[in-house]
Amino acid sequence: MKLGKLLQAGALAVALGLPVMGLAATGATAQTLTVGVRGGPESMDPHYSALGVHADAMKHVFDTLVWSGDNLQIEPGLAESWKPLDSTTWEFKLRKGVKFHDGSDFTAEDVKFSIERIPVVTGPTTLLIYVRRVKEVVIVDPHTVHMKTDGPAATLPNDFVRLFIVSAKAAKDFSTKETAADGFNSGKATIGTGPYKFVSWEPKGDLVLERYDGYWRGKGPWAKVVRKEMANDSSRLAALKAGQVDLVNYVSSADWQALKRDAKIDTFLADSVYVMNLQLDQREQTPKVYDLDGKPLAKNPLRDPKVREALDLAIDRETMVEVVLEGLGTPNNQLMPKDFFGWSPKVPARKADPKKAKALLAEAGYPNGFKMDLHCTNDRLPGDGAICQGLGQMFAQAGIQTNVNAISRTVYFPAQAKKEYSVFMNGWGTLTGEASYTLAAMAHSNSPELKLGSFNRIEYANPKVDVLLQAAGKELDDPKRKALYQEAMELIMADRAYISIVTLQTVWAAAKGKLKMAPRTDEDTLAFFITPAK
Amino acid sequence: MWGGSAILPSPVALRCPAQRGYEGPVEAALITRESRTPMTGYVIQRCLQAVVVMFAMSVIVFVGVYAVGNPMDVLIPLDAPQDVRAFIIERFGLDRPLWEQYLIFLGNVAQGDFGRSFVYATPVLDLILSRLPATLELTLAAVLGATLIGVPLGIWAGYRPDAISSKSIMAVSILGFSVPTFWVGLILILTFAVYLGWLPAGGRGPTVEVAGVAWSFLTPEGLTHLLLPAVNLALFKLAMMIRLARAGTREIMLTDTIKFARAAGLSEATIVRHHVLKLIAVPIVTVFGLELGSTLAFAVVTETIFSWPGLGKLIIDSITSLDRPVMVAYLILVAVLFVTINLVIDLTYAALDPRIARGHAA
Amino acid sequence: MSAASTPLGRFWADFRESRVAVAALVVVVAIVLLAVAAPLIAPQNPYDLGGLSLLDARRPPGHVGSGGYIHVLGTDAQGRDLLSAILYGLQISVQIGLMAGCVALAAGAALGVTAAYAGGMVETVVMRIVDLQLSFPAILLALVLVALLGQGKAQLVTALVAAQYAYFARTAYGAATAERRKDYIEAATATPLSRRRIVFRHLLPNCMPPLIVVATVQIANSISLEATLSFLGLGLPVTEPSLGMLIANGFVYMMSGRYWISVYPGIALIVLIVAINLVGDQIRDQLNPRLRR
Repeated sequence: MKLGKLLQAGALAVALGLPVMGLAATGATAQTLTVGVRGGPESMDPHYSALGVHADAMKHVFDTLVWSGDNLQIEPGLAESWKPLDSTTWEFKLRKGVKFHDGSDFTAEDVKFSIERIPVVTGPTTLLIYVRRVKEVVIVDPHTVHMKTDGPAATLPNDFVRLFIVSAKAAKDFSTKETAADGFNSGKATIGTGPYKFVSWEPKGDLVLERYDGYWRGKGPWAKVVRKEMANDSSRLAALKAGQVDLVNYVSSADWQALKRDAKIDTFLADSVYVMNLQLDQREQTPKVYDLDGKPLAKNPLRDPKVREALDLAIDRETMVEVVLEGLGTPNNQLMPKDFFGWSPKVPARKADPKKAKALLAEAGYPNGFKMDLHCTNDRLPGDGAICQGLGQMFAQAGIQTNVNAISRTVYFPAQAKKEYSVFMNGWGTLTGEASYTLAAMAHSNSPELKLGSFNRIEYANPKVDVLLQAAGKELDDPKRKALYQEAMELIMADRAYISIVTLQTVWAAAKGKLKMAPRTDEDTLAFFITPAK
Repeated sequence: MWGGSAILPSPVALRCPAQRGYEGPVEAALITRESRTPMTGYVIQRCLQAVVVMFAMSVIVFVGVYAVGNPMDVLIPLDAPQDVRAFIIERFGLDRPLWEQYLIFLGNVAQGDFGRSFVYATPVLDLILSRLPATLELTLAAVLGATLIGVPLGIWAGYRPDAISSKSIMAVSILGFSVPTFWVGLILILTFAVYLGWLPAGGRGPTVEVAGVAWSFLTPEGLTHLLLPAVNLALFKLAMMIRLARAGTREIMLTDTIKFARAAGLSEATIVRHHVLKLIAVPIVTVFGLELGSTLAFAVVTETIFSWPGLGKLIIDSITSLDRPVMVAYLILVAVLFVTINLVIDLTYAALDPRIARGHAA
Repeated sequence: MSAASTPLGRFWADFRESRVAVAALVVVVAIVLLAVAAPLIAPQNPYDLGGLSLLDARRPPGHVGSGGYIHVLGTDAQGRDLLSAILYGLQISVQIGLMAGCVALAAGAALGVTAAYAGGMVETVVMRIVDLQLSFPAILLALVLVALLGQGKAQLVTALVAAQYAYFARTAYGAATAERRKDYIEAATATPLSRRRIVFRHLLPNCMPPLIVVATVQIANSISLEATLSFLGLGLPVTEPSLGMLIANGFVYMMSGRYWISVYPGIALIVLIVAINLVGDQIRDQLNPRLRR
C-alpha cells in the first residue's frame, strides 16, 4: 500500500537524521551553564517561600542581607557589619555602592520595604519565621538600619541569612497577595542586586538568567545560566550523561558509587544540614506500641529510659551509612551536624550493641520484646524510606517487632501533627547553622506563649533543658550562649527521647574536567561560584 | 490505558441487531441513543451530565483532602512556631469549617475564579492552561502515530490472519498492551539517550508560537525531544488500534457483503479500500476520540519519567502537596474536556453514519 | 451425554485448538499456584524484618547470602531475596487483580442486570451514573481515590473497583437488555417465580460470556494499574512490595548497573499480564458470535 511505502521512507529519513540532530542539540557553549536541578522555585517572588530549592534559585537574582558562607557560618552580605545596640535593638550597616539590575541604588529603604512586605505576600512555606522577631525597622540613614526586636534576639543575624532584598521602587506595585506572583513571574518586579538578571521562568519549567555585569562581588563566570527542573533522579542523571546538562545536583546514593568510578564524571560531595532523628513518644499512653499479641500496651514502654537506651543500642549506624546509604552519610549522635554552633564534643559516640539492648529490654520487663509501628516519609529526603526499613530490621534483631510504614509526606506530616504516631523518624535541617533554631523548636517543652517547642511532637519535657534554652535565648554573648546550648544538647541526647542516626550528605555531578565547584552545606547550587575548569 | 480498551466496538454489531448482547460500552451507548430523539436534546443532556460530574468531583476532592489532613501541615515548614502556623492557616482560609470553604469556592467559580495554587501563588487557571499545550502536543502525537501505524498493520493482520507477519504483528501488539508504560519509558531512556546517545533524555524542546500558543513539534530539536515520550505513550494505543482493526477486519471479511463483492468480481484491493476501511472507520473514530481523552489522563506517567512539562506532572505534584485548588480545577476541567470529546464523537458518528442520526428503531 | 456436547465441553475443545492460548492458560495457572504456594517454596519471607540482613543488600544473582542459601535472582536494596520477593509480589498482584476483578464483576453485573430488568426510573438513573463514570478517565479516579484513601490493600482494591465497575455494569446491561426480550424470560415472568430468582438464576447466567471477557482484561488491567500507581508512589506500603513497587524501587539502580532488582520483577509482571491477555483474547474470540462461520 502506498501508505506503507510512505511510512518506510519517513522512518528511514528520521533514523538517518536523528544522530545528526542529536549531536547538534546537546552541549553548553563555553558561556552558558546548564544545570539540572531536582526542584525549582515556586515563584519568582523571593518572599513567597522558605523552601531550600526556592532560596537556591533566588540567590541568583537577589542577595540576602547576611550571607551564609562555608559551613553555614555567617558573613557580610548586603549588610557589611552588625552589632547589638541594646537588648532589643540591632544596628546593621549596609554596603555602599551596590546597584540593582535597573541601575538604582541599594539603600535602607529597600531593606525596610522587604521586611514589611513578607507578612503580606507570604505563601504557606513561610519566610515569616526569619523575620518574626522584628517589631519595627528604623531607617537611620541610607546605609544604616536599626531593627527593633520583641525581646532579646541573639540570632537575628543568622535569621537574616534568608532575608532577600527586593527593590522598593520596582516591587512597590506588586506587593499584595494578588499582584505579587504576576509581577515577579513576569519580570516586572524581579529586580535584585544578585549576579544574574531574570530572563524567563515557568512553574516546573526552565529558569533562564543572564549575567549582570555590575554585581558588587564582580562579574560572574557565565554569560547565561539555565536551570532545568528535572525531578526524576534517573532522568536527571541520564540528561547529564547524554550531555544535555553540564551539572546536576542531588545525585542519589544508588548512583553515587558507580559515578565515583566513572571516568567521564566528576563528583562533588558535601555534608548537608539534615540529620535523621528517631523520635519516641513520651506520653503516658501511646497509640502504636503493642504487646506480642497485638493489643495496645497499657503503659508506654518508651517512657522507660532503659527501653530508649535499648533502641539506641540496636541501631548500627555504620552499617546504616555503608549499606543503606551506600556511603552517602556520616553517623551522628546529636541533633545537629558536626561543628555547628552548639554542637557538643562531649556527647558520646554511639556503638551498636544488640545483645546489651536485649538485656536492657529484659530488665525493663520485656524479655520477649514488644511490637511497634514505625512511621516515616519516603519522598522527602534521600534515603528516608530506606533508613526506616533498615531501622525496622535492626529493631527486629533486638527483639522489637517493627511494622515499618514509609509513607508519603502528604499523609505523614498532618498525622504526626495530630500526634497519631508513637515512633517516628524524619530529617531535620538546621538551616541557620546554629542550635537555637533546632533545640528551641524540638527540645523545649511545647509552650505556645513562649513560642518555643513548636516541633516538639513527642511531649518531651525536661525542666533543666527548658531553663537552659530560655537562658540561651536571652544571652547575647556568643561564647556564653554556645556553652549553654552545648550543655542543653548533652542533656537532651542523654535522655534519648530523640535518637539521632546519621547526617545526610549531598552529591553533585558534572562531566569530567568541565567545572570546578566548592560544594555547599546548604545544598545550594550557585552559578556565580561555579567556574569553568580552564 | 483504560477507556474503551477492553471492549472494542464492532462495526458489524451496529448493523445486525440480531447479534446484540456482545457490545461494549461504546456500541451500547450509541445503540441506545438511536431511540433518543433530537440532537439538541442530546447535547443538553450531555451538558447537564458534565455539570453533575463537576460538582461530584469538587465535593470528592474537598472532602477527601479534608480527610487526609490540613494542606498547610504539608506545606508549612517544620520549624514554624505556633503563632506563624495560625497566621498562615487563617490567611489561606483553612481555619473555616469545610462547608464554608466549599461555598466560598463555589462562589468564586461562578465568577470564573478557580483560586490560586497553594504552592505556586499563580491563578490555577493560568497554571493549567499554560501547561495544557505541552500535554496536548504529546497526546496528539501519540494517538495520531498509533492510529496511522496501527490501523494499516491491524487491517493486514485481519485480512491475512494466518500469515507469519500477521502472527508477529499480533505478538507485538500483545506485548504493547501488557508491558507497563513506565517500564518501557525508562528502558527507552536508557537505550536511546544514555547508551546510544541519539535522543535527549527528557524535557521539551524549543517552541514556536502559533496562534498564541507555543508548540515544540515545529522545531527539529523539538521533534527529537517529542519522539521518545510519544513512542512511550503510543505503544499501548498502537497495540489497541492493531487489535481493533484486526478484529473488525476479521468480522467484516466473514460477512455476506464481502462474499457478494468477491462474487461480483471486485479486486481484493478495492474490497479492502472500499468496504473494510469504510466499515472500520466508525469504531476507529470512536475509539480515537475516547482514547484521546484517556491518553491525556494517562500521560501522567510518561510526563513524570521524561520530565515533560505538561498537566500530568502538575496533577501528581499537586496531589502529593495537597494543593487543593489545583486538584479541584484539574479534575473539573478534565471532566469538561471528556464530555466535550464524547459529544464531538457522537456528532462525528452521526455524520459518518446517517442511519444513527435518523435514529432507527432497534 | 459425551463431554463434547455440553457447552463447557465444546468451549474447551475449541480452546484447545489454539496452542498459544493453552500455553498461556498453563502459565497463568502455574503462576497462580506459585503465588499461592509462595510461603512454602520461597527461601525467605521478605516481610519478616528479623530474617533480613542489610549486609545482603544489592547482591548480584548467584550470591550466597548470610542465610546460607544462594540468591538465585540476587537481592534488593533491603537485603530481600529477589526470588522470594517476586513470589510474594506475584501473590499480591494476583490477589489484587482477582479481588478487584471479582468485586467489580459482582457489583457491576448486579447493577447492570437489575437496571435492565427493572426498567423505568431505576434503569435510567443507574445507567446515567454508569455512563457518567465511563466518560471519566479511570486512572485519574484511581489516582485521586488512592491518594485520599491512603495506602493499603483494601484502599487500593476499593479504588480499582470504583474505577472499574462501570465497565461490567454497562456490559451486563447491554447483554441483559438483549436477553430480556427473549422468549424464555417472558415465559419465566409468567410463572410464579420471584423476580429475584428470574434475574439471578436465569438472566444473569446468560449474560456471563461477555462479562467473562471483560473480567479477564480488567484483571490484567488491575494488575498493571496497581504497578503504575506504585511507581507513582501511591500504591501499596513499601514493606509489602508488590511487583510494581519492586520495579519502581529497583529502577533507581538501573543506571549503576544493578539491573536485576528491576528487570526480574518486570519480567514476572509482563509474563503474568501477557498470559492473562492471551487467554482473554482466545475466550473472546470463541464467544464472539460474529466470528462463527
